[in-house]
Amino acid sequence: MQDKRLSIKKLVLTMLLAIFAILFLLPLLWMLSSSLKTPMQVFEGEFRWIADKLHWNNYVSVWSNPDLPFWRMLVNSSLISVTTVAGQLFVASLAAYAFAKIEFKGRDVIFIIMLVTMMIPVQALIIPRYMLFFKIGLYDTLLSVILPNFFSVTTIFLLRQFYMGIPNELIEAAWLDGAGHFKIWAKVTMPLTKNGMISAAILAFINSWNEYLNPLIFLPSQDNYTVALGIRWYMNDTAREYNLMMSAAACTIIPIILIYISAQKYFEDGIVASSVKG
Amino acid sequence: MPKKKRQTLTGYAFLAPALLIFLVMVVIPVIISLILAFTKWNFFSGFSGLRFVGLRNFNRLFASDRSFQTALINTLVYAVTIVPVTVFMGLLLAHFVNGRVYCQRFYRLAFFVPYISNMVALGAVFKFLFRSDGPINGILKGVFHVQAVPDWLVSSSLSRIPIICVMIYSGIGFCLIIYIAALKNVPKDLYEAAQVDGASPIKQFFKITMPMISPTTFYLVVVRLILTFQIFAAINIISESGKSSGSVSLVVLIYEEAFKNYNFGYASAEAWILVLFILGVTLLNFKLRKKWVHY
Repeated sequence: MQDKRLSIKKLVLTMLLAIFAILFLLPLLWMLSSSLKTPMQVFEGEFRWIADKLHWNNYVSVWSNPDLPFWRMLVNSSLISVTTVAGQLFVASLAAYAFAKIEFKGRDVIFIIMLVTMMIPVQALIIPRYMLFFKIGLYDTLLSVILPNFFSVTTIFLLRQFYMGIPNELIEAAWLDGAGHFKIWAKVTMPLTKNGMISAAILAFINSWNEYLNPLIFLPSQDNYTVALGIRWYMNDTAREYNLMMSAAACTIIPIILIYISAQKYFEDGIVASSVKG
Repeated sequence: MPKKKRQTLTGYAFLAPALLIFLVMVVIPVIISLILAFTKWNFFSGFSGLRFVGLRNFNRLFASDRSFQTALINTLVYAVTIVPVTVFMGLLLAHFVNGRVYCQRFYRLAFFVPYISNMVALGAVFKFLFRSDGPINGILKGVFHVQAVPDWLVSSSLSRIPIICVMIYSGIGFCLIIYIAALKNVPKDLYEAAQVDGASPIKQFFKITMPMISPTTFYLVVVRLILTFQIFAAINIISESGKSSGSVSLVVLIYEEAFKNYNFGYASAEAWILVLFILGVTLLNFKLRKKWVHY
């Protein structure tokens, strides 16, 4: 009896929360609905979620728009994000191993300095970076938004947590077998940090995919636009075709939602693990 | 070679890639930017056009720069509105999603989607919602019978509201995920004991849940404050007129001064005000921690 009553209460709460969740998602549902309308229908006085029929060809025209083909933005953003993830993980995994498993002079000082610089907002670094990229010819290349993100304190911190969890005996045993630190890192310990690597990779991918300020400053030519700059282009375009703008927005958000759904556990674990106060 | 020395060499070899990028992309830029803050320099005048002006940039910022003062006040307004609402909503939803409803996974996904959505895409959506002929005003007219609906995007006092809304909207999911993890660590027997004593669920929430997860609340307040001080994308997308609009923030100002006018000296001074602002508020947070955070 007790259990039954409790579960009814739980059911009612589930329903109430469902209503709230749908209200919460209305802006995004509106985005999807508008992305499948004609420009006129977006502004119709009488609002309908689905007007006469679904205009899927909005997506076709956004992808192959001769002024700004959105497929190129998707390729650029994918290239940037994948390269950023690969570089950031490689650099961070090496550093995290050193911070967790090798004892040497200056180690803790360097780690603390890195943590402290997390407090300095990127806006204070962006002007000198601009001067540097201008000087060495990286300005207006994809590398200008990739390179700075090869270094990420958050990722180093997250992976360090995972390396600290590996028992020292394991490393000493490999040491006695004649393996050096590099071999131990690559063959013994790195495979054990797999979960951390996946979490960090997803986090880094999403951050890089959603970045706005850096591409806005460093990637002025349309050939190098990222998805965010593509949406912005539709907003500044004089035609203000909201249906196409919303198709572009949906193309930007949907891949990220799919990644999240396919790796929800890793993702949430990663967010929690990187937030543990050091 | 002695073992200790070899260890040190190996250590630095492992750190080398990270240290190299850290030096080139963080340490050196910090130093250059600090120097630039005391100069008057337009990027396109070349290095010969660079002049040291001492504290004059900072004097001008606080004495006569009206848009800087607006930006400073706005940044504070954003922080004190966005952060408390986001963190509280995150906690409230986490409280229900964690074990009080079915289909937990679905709810975590639903509330989390805005957080992983591109801010530019969200900004585009919210900009439409808040148009003078958009859905929000449609609801105000149709459901609440408001006759004189406001023009959210143009009015200088109201233009901050769409921005505050979109920031809260995107931030709730993050707080929710962190809070759910924290709630799982609150010992169950505390609630059982309270139930025996006859404490109501609301009393349990305020007397057990809130104090037990106060370290998480502290963490969220610190990081969300730092993030909100750097608010840029939402304003850049939603606001109509950049620097002169009523919604301008510090970072919008830095961006326009640096990359529209190319006054790198003045922009650096503004950037360092932001740095000091963030450092100051974070230190203050840690000072106040003892008063309300229980470990």
